[in-house]
Amino acid sequence: MTRESRLITILVIVSILAAIAITVVYRKNNSIEVGLEKKPKIAVVLKTIDYRSLAFWQTVKDGIESAGKDFNVDISIQGPMSETQVDEQILIIRNAIKTKPDAFVIAAADYDRLIPIATEIKDAQIPLVTIDSFINGEVADTRIGTNNYDAGQKAGAALMENIRPGSKVVIMSYVKGTSSAIDREMGVRDFLKGMVELEDTIFSRGEISVAYDQAAHLLESDPELKGIIALNDPTTIGVARALNDSNKKLDVILVGFDNSLSVLGFVEAEVVRDTIVQKPFNMGYLGIKTAVDLINGKKVDAFIDTGSKVINHQNMLLPENQKLLFPVTR
Amino acid sequence: MKIRSLQLSIILGFAVLILLSIITIGTFTFYIFNDTLKRNSLDSSSQVVSQLNRQIDNYISNMDNISQVAISHPDVQDYVHGLSNDKNFLTSEADGESPSQAKNRVTSLFQSIISVRKDINSIMLLLDSKTLVTNNPLDQINPYADWPATTSTRTESGPFSASLSSSYVQDIIIGKYSWVITMSRDVYDFRTNQHRGVLLVDLDYSIIEGLCNSIQLGKSGYVFIINPMGEIVYHPRQQLIYSGLKEELIDKIKNIPNGQLTGEINNREVLYTTKTSEYTGWTVVGVSYLDELFYNRSEIEYYFAMIVVACFLGSVLLSYYISLKITRPLEILRRSVQAVEGGNFDIEINVNSTDEVNGLAQDFNIAIRKIKELIEQNARTYEQKRKHELKSLQAQINPHFLYNTLDSIIWMIECGESKDAITMTSTLAKFFRLGISKGGDIISVKDEIEHLSCYLTIQKMRYKDSLDYSIDVDPAIYSCRTLKLLIQPLVENAIYHGLKGQDKIGMLNVFGFRDKQDLVFKVVDNGIGMTSKELSEIFNSNSPSKGSSGIGVKNVLDRIQLYFGLDYGVSFESFKGKGTTATIRLPAIIDSEL
Repeated sequence: MTRESRLITILVIVSILAAIAITVVYRKNNSIEVGLEKKPKIAVVLKTIDYRSLAFWQTVKDGIESAGKDFNVDISIQGPMSETQVDEQILIIRNAIKTKPDAFVIAAADYDRLIPIATEIKDAQIPLVTIDSFINGEVADTRIGTNNYDAGQKAGAALMENIRPGSKVVIMSYVKGTSSAIDREMGVRDFLKGMVELEDTIFSRGEISVAYDQAAHLLESDPELKGIIALNDPTTIGVARALNDSNKKLDVILVGFDNSLSVLGFVEAEVVRDTIVQKPFNMGYLGIKTAVDLINGKKVDAFIDTGSKVINHQNMLLPENQKLLFPVTR
Repeated sequence: MKIRSLQLSIILGFAVLILLSIITIGTFTFYIFNDTLKRNSLDSSSQVVSQLNRQIDNYISNMDNISQVAISHPDVQDYVHGLSNDKNFLTSEADGESPSQAKNRVTSLFQSIISVRKDINSIMLLLDSKTLVTNNPLDQINPYADWPATTSTRTESGPFSASLSSSYVQDIIIGKYSWVITMSRDVYDFRTNQHRGVLLVDLDYSIIEGLCNSIQLGKSGYVFIINPMGEIVYHPRQQLIYSGLKEELIDKIKNIPNGQLTGEINNREVLYTTKTSEYTGWTVVGVSYLDELFYNRSEIEYYFAMIVVACFLGSVLLSYYISLKITRPLEILRRSVQAVEGGNFDIEINVNSTDEVNGLAQDFNIAIRKIKELIEQNARTYEQKRKHELKSLQAQINPHFLYNTLDSIIWMIECGESKDAITMTSTLAKFFRLGISKGGDIISVKDEIEHLSCYLTIQKMRYKDSLDYSIDVDPAIYSCRTLKLLIQPLVENAIYHGLKGQDKIGMLNVFGFRDKQDLVFKVVDNGIGMTSKELSEIFNSNSPSKGSSGIGVKNVLDRIQLYFGLDYGVSFESFKGKGTTATIRLPAIIDSEL
């Protein structure tokens, strides 16, 4: 073999190798763009898809859909009609596993009862992101939602701005044993410890009418009561109505949670002094963003705080809060 | 190894040249293409943004028209006038109509407008006296809401003394929190020209949202709207912005109301296309991600790279082919030349090509043939020379001449002519000495003449009075070169064929002189001469005539031509009965060695 033939062979081989290398690099760089079939599929199962009555989930959905567009992923959103339909949600998840999604984003309807199905998801090697309401244990890859302990502390701080130290205060929680309720109450308790006289916590079961009755009874029976912290939306509405109907509107300070239009109406009317609102849009958006990160093999934090905000009559109509508080109705 | 490096240079040269040209031209084309692509994208996003702007202007101007129609409508004017006459409108009457009836007419006017304009959320008439009239008679004023200021105190400005709000939550009606954009306009009582309040036309925000949402800029581009203060009117990710999870370069955008700018947001290059409406004062901002704008750029880059590689491959193969075409014949030629160097003249070069190298090969073939011929000729000539030399050598010791001479000497001695015998013997001795003494064939004219004179002396002594001779040679040519035994055979020839046997005295004259560049010897006799037929036969007979010195005229001619070339030789002139002149022509070469 002459020097020239050797050179030619080398040059030809180099050319072919270069072509292969270019193709490989190109394919790698464009893996997501090449072919629609490679678009990741994310299955979202919410606590409920009854958006009309629960604007919170509508906003979560907006966030999910926005992120779906931003990160170029296919998203299917499912869920039971009611937050209490735990078995229904488990069934929906089981069916969704069969469609082999690239990731799951779940708002758990129950802290414990979803453990087995979540384990099934992990057994199928599918990344699992929980948003808003989580699953007991470390089965999910990450939890994205409000830091409820933190939110509880904010509620305590908001109350303390309006009452004198040593006043009598009651916490009105919703469902005993619910993780968010426990965390929020703990936050409030830790903040108020030693500053006020805390009554035993009352549980409204998350029903407006129960909360109303309980609050009405309290307001009537305890003239010393100066502050109420209601830990979720229906409880806040019930207490606010009771307070509005009583003659103690100015004497008792109510700090609530969440931002349904009813709650906001009471905030505008200053029946509810402050309400701690969550950021459902961010939950939905970050839920998808984190799921995409997990699909791409990135490390994510075990907990991502979407934050909470204290809303009152003064700041509720500020431009930066309007979008947070008032969903655009369609 | 020169040929190999020639081939290498051709291959490398070609490859590099083609590669460089492709890369240069390709890069240039690629940039132009990219630029065009970019400009097209910029143009198209400009168009999208402008179009959206026009649509929004259209909506807002509709609102403006509605508000103008509404404030000047007789129903509204009647109601406003009636109220101003009596603040307590529940009991007052205007134009024979109760204020509540007038209010109903306004309400139904508003209702009829809204029923055809689905994009209008509500129309509200707010009067100074905290009176609210809307399209819905059940609407109640939210007592906790801030009462909207009149347009005169608002900072927002628009044409026709109307003002346009940003998007916000309208909370003036109890229990309703609608996202709207409000066109507000001062309401005057035309009859008294008094300022009476404000008319609000609320455009449903979801209309703007729908318009903006329907716009697609690349895969994930979007549009947003800001007002002249830089406040967001619409943004699809408004909540993310307020949460600090997303940012827009609003401060920079504000400075470029119409145009384009690029920036980096969340590690992505972003192109902002802005267009500000003169009508609303709003700036519509199109946001496109540059990487998406050029989403097919990487594809083009890929194909470009592949073309470069393919061209490189092609150029390498082509240059290899071309170099082979050039160097293979050269290599064959070189090997042939090497073979010739080694002494092989029998090869025929066949390079199998039709180009210049083939021509060269053909010429080379011809040259080799010539060389081969010359070498063969050379060999032949040498052989002949040797033969002739041997012959001339033989001639010098020609036994007939010697016998005849010795017979003459014996005869002289017998006759007592001892003196003559001595002279003859010594002359014979000199004759032979001169003939043998120089080994080579080439001698000086002087030696040749001396030798000739010895010969003629002997012949004269033999023939006595029947022969007379003279030698007249220019001494200036003595030192010139001549061949041994050139003149003597001619003289011998003249004696035996021209003079011998005739009655009169045979006269023989030998001349030697220089004629320009030539030496000329002439042997002139007055003998019997020759016919032209005899003349032509002189050179044909190779064998000398009997009794001669053995060297024929042919031998003389051959030797002259062998040594000095065909331009020289021997010629004869003869007339029957008159005599013959033989002329030898040689080049005049002075040889210092001789």
